Amino acid sequence: MSLRLALALALAATLVPLSQDRIDRRAGVFRAQEEVLYLWSGENVKRLVPGFENIAADVYWLRTVQYFGGQRRFARDKRFDLLRPLIEITTTLDPRFEIAYRYGAIFLSEPPPIGAGRPREGIEVLERGAQALPGSWRLRQDLGFFHFLFLNDPAAAAKVLTEASKIPGAAFWLRTLAADLLAKGGDRASSRQMWRQMFEQAEEGIIRENARVRLRILDSLDTRDRLAAAVAEFERREGRRPARLEELQAARLWKGPLEDAAGVRFGYDAATGRVFIPDTSPMWRPD
Amino acid sequence: MRAGVNRTLAVAANAFRETVRERVLYNLVFFAILMTLAGLLLGQLSVRQDEKILKDIGLAAMDLFGTLIAVFIGTGLVSKEIERRSLYPLLAKPLSRGEFFIGKFAGLAFTLFVNLSVMLLALMLTLVLTQRRPDLGLLGAVYPIFLGLLLTVGFAMLFSSVTSSTLAAVLTVGVVIVGRYADVIRGMREVAPTIPPALVNALFTILPNYANFDFKSQVAYGDPVPAGLLGWSTLYAVGWLGVVLGLGLASFRSRDFQ
Repeated sequence: MSLRLALALALAATLVPLSQDRIDRRAGVFRAQEEVLYLWSGENVKRLVPGFENIAADVYWLRTVQYFGGQRRFARDKRFDLLRPLIEITTTLDPRFEIAYRYGAIFLSEPPPIGAGRPREGIEVLERGAQALPGSWRLRQDLGFFHFLFLNDPAAAAKVLTEASKIPGAAFWLRTLAADLLAKGGDRASSRQMWRQMFEQAEEGIIRENARVRLRILDSLDTRDRLAAAVAEFERREGRRPARLEELQAARLWKGPLEDAAGVRFGYDAATGRVFIPDTSPMWRPD
Repeated sequence: MRAGVNRTLAVAANAFRETVRERVLYNLVFFAILMTLAGLLLGQLSVRQDEKILKDIGLAAMDLFGTLIAVFIGTGLVSKEIERRSLYPLLAKPLSRGEFFIGKFAGLAFTLFVNLSVMLLALMLTLVLTQRRPDLGLLGAVYPIFLGLLLTVGFAMLFSSVTSSTLAAVLTVGVVIVGRYADVIRGMREVAPTIPPALVNALFTILPNYANFDFKSQVAYGDPVPAGLLGWSTLYAVGWLGVVLGLGLASFRSRDFQ
């Protein structure tokens, strides 16, 4: 190789990282992704890749996870418009992709800013999964959980959980939980049990982290309720409401922390006596 | 008889050496890079599905690369010898056209066998390196892929014995694509009931159904492929290969190379 050619090659090779660096400086390292889905029907995509449906499903699943993560982290207006079609395409291409139904339903159902806040669509995805995989008790378990946790419908949840308990290999506690839901009409203890199950069944990742946060939210709600009870007791004893929550500690009515599980101080309205989780806290969720 | 077999094997060995010389097996390097990257990245990206996706990628790559080799090398096996005129001295020797034709087929079949075997080993190795079990059940998908590739080679050789290598490649790709849509043809009765059922049946019968060689999904989910099913797939492939290679051979024999 002549010296000139070697020099030309070295120069050209230097230009590549240099120009990339300049482009990144001008356009940003993380540029806005084009929010476009050229094919909206799973059946159409399936027809395009005969014999390669599974790998196409994998590609769409990776895109779903990336899209969800990208929207959650970078988008200002978190609309998650493409989430449902991406999940539909993935599961049409590979109807046995159980994780796509389970995680997809979570992505759709969790309220903003965590998810798309469309629990009915999440439940539809799980229903489709339960149809495609009739032997999967976990899908039916999730379907029952979602009916209770996101739609606050203990009767429907109990019905689905009872169905799930009849599937061979199903967890023994599903029937008990269904009975509890019917008897008590659903309470925080049932929610805790469901999120605890989801936490224990999931491996480290988005779903486990979400369940962990949900359990901490329930802890924070318990603490909030105990604080509210302490405020009521203070009012009963003193004949007035405390001006600040610290007065509860001074009156020996409260020994615990005045912060929620995320370390954010509970809000308190002295005029009404209401104790609440402030919307600045990661533990806050819309009622 | 024995001399004939030896001559066929000599042609096969030569065809194998030729494909190696043409750097066909270089696709294995690409496959190795693909598997390494997939192994490294999928755990982070796929949410608990890395094993399934690794298997999907591995099996799809075997199918795709194998098909490309079968089409583009298969169509050149005979036609190149004709175009380069290297066929004439060969046929002047005590070597029948049948031995030459079948030998060429066997040579490329062996290349594909080596290619698939190395890919399968690489996939197993990737699974082991990513703390997964090396799954022997993968053979349940790789073996029918091999059968499908043999059929593709058969078609490539049939077409290349009657036309130019370019047109033969186009026709073979066409057959492979249509063969993968065989279920659509079968389902035409439901979609378009006005089409005569006899026509649909005839179309479905005269086209190879590549779905019979596709068990990738089952295997990726760890489901066993029943031996009986594999047996029928083998018979299906043998039947089709008999027809395709027979027609190819008949055409090759009847060609006038003057």
